[in-house]
Amino acid sequence: MKDKIEIALAQISSKRESKEANFQKIEKLTIKAKEQGADLVIFPEMSLTGYVVHDQVYELAETIPGPTVEKAEMLAKKTGVHIIFGMPELSEKTQATVFNTAVFVGPQGLIGKYRKMYLPTHSVFEEKRYFRPGYQAAVFQTDLGNVGLCICYDIFFPEVLRLIRLKGAQLIVCISASPAVRRSYFETLTCARAIENTAYVAYVNLAGVQDGLQFWGGSRLVSPNGDVLAKAKYDEEDFLTCEVDFSDLRTAETFIPALRDLRPELFDKLKEYAERL
Amino acid sequence: MKLTPFVFEVDFSETQQRICRFIKEYVENAGAKGIVLGLSGGIDSATIAALSSLAIGGKNVLALMLPEEENFSQKDIDDAKAVADRFQLETSICDTTEVMKCFYKQIPVFDPKDRLCKGNVKARTRMVYLYYYANKFNRIVCGSSDKSETMMGYFTKWGDAAADITPILDLYKTQVRKLALHLGIPEELALKPSTPALWPAQMAETELGIKYETLDLILYGLERFMTTGEIANQLKIEKSTVETVKRRWLSNEHKRRMPIALKLGYRTVGIDFRLPRHTY
Repeated sequence: MKDKIEIALAQISSKRESKEANFQKIEKLTIKAKEQGADLVIFPEMSLTGYVVHDQVYELAETIPGPTVEKAEMLAKKTGVHIIFGMPELSEKTQATVFNTAVFVGPQGLIGKYRKMYLPTHSVFEEKRYFRPGYQAAVFQTDLGNVGLCICYDIFFPEVLRLIRLKGAQLIVCISASPAVRRSYFETLTCARAIENTAYVAYVNLAGVQDGLQFWGGSRLVSPNGDVLAKAKYDEEDFLTCEVDFSDLRTAETFIPALRDLRPELFDKLKEYAERL
Repeated sequence: MKLTPFVFEVDFSETQQRICRFIKEYVENAGAKGIVLGLSGGIDSATIAALSSLAIGGKNVLALMLPEEENFSQKDIDDAKAVADRFQLETSICDTTEVMKCFYKQIPVFDPKDRLCKGNVKARTRMVYLYYYANKFNRIVCGSSDKSETMMGYFTKWGDAAADITPILDLYKTQVRKLALHLGIPEELALKPSTPALWPAQMAETELGIKYETLDLILYGLERFMTTGEIANQLKIEKSTVETVKRRWLSNEHKRRMPIALKLGYRTVGIDFRLPRHTY
């Protein structure tokens, strides 16, 4: 595990239903990430297909591993850069069960995947209509360090990121497709989740307009004490690299020892009262 | 939640930027050569004209002025021309009088005293002109409906609301006025009383029976699931006024959606056929 890594936040606007065009963009920006010395490049939720695809999701979804992930593995191997991106995943066991998934590949191949647990189905969102939720928090021990994955609406649920952190993640990656009216929520929550878990949070959002939804961009790296270390432009495509220094975790944890002060018995109470809501 | 005019204060620079990006991206992705819009001399179309010009350049925006004898207003024409000059739009004036007269003459049951039916012919005729120019010159029609009139159903079905994009549809009238001022549209025009121009001296607020300042706050409350009682209490108005607005809002959903179909098949247009709107 490295003490410091360089990560790239690839805030792209995806072309809807065009996996080929979007993968070309992923390829181009991964090469750019390598040129700028990045160890890891992160793309937004559903960046392979676009977010607003409705019924077309059944045609677009692929198994993992599958054709696109194999191409991503080749790209990671060729560049030596780790890649995280979002795509609709087709279950290997059925023909129309789809997950909203984050894929993590590295130079050695597929590291893992995370299936979104909290599927927004309100306002402009209809994810439960199309996706089956995931059931597993995802943390991967890699050459880069312990990396946890979550997707967009998951960040509204502190228990998801807490679980990721307790499983050992020091860098929590949240890929997102968040429309503009929700900006202030995410700007607050990314900082809150970083502070309460004393972990780095890398948030990468889509940009551009899809079917009248303007994705607000604003991707960022937040330090374990809540500082926004790097921030991409609002609304437009952007690309930037920034440093994750894992040695800062100790300083943050000693200053606000939120993990040391956890009270597990309260979690039983949470369960009890959540069931009664 | 407090219902005060403050709720309509947004960052209009950001709103302008977002709308302009939306217009530009849509026109580019559609492969269109530009925009056609109807420029009436009113606040909504002036705002749309300004935003379109800022998004794609005035030379790519064709503003059609579509006067007719019965509703003719030199003041409206002058206001429309002033906006076109200020935002360097391409313009064309088409007198629609003879087309309207032809309709009146050829419809067997035409009743000149029924001003609503007659007025709707005007709105739909203007739509025909806009789409003719759009088809002919590979442009898209940019509509100027706002949230207040859309929620109230205060428009002609398949008439003035017909468009390919409606960039200010999610802004209440009071917000449109503020955005217009932000864009540099003269105050006199920004605050000019609205009219759908279906018959002479028709005024929106008179016909709706309520000032936009109050109406918009009622609609804002309804949008956020407030009860009619809560809204009436906060605004210190009769509950029946709020209920009238709510009834009108709900009863006009048919004007805001695709025509209703009977579900007979596996997937049905307008019901559960959910496809992304493509612009390429």
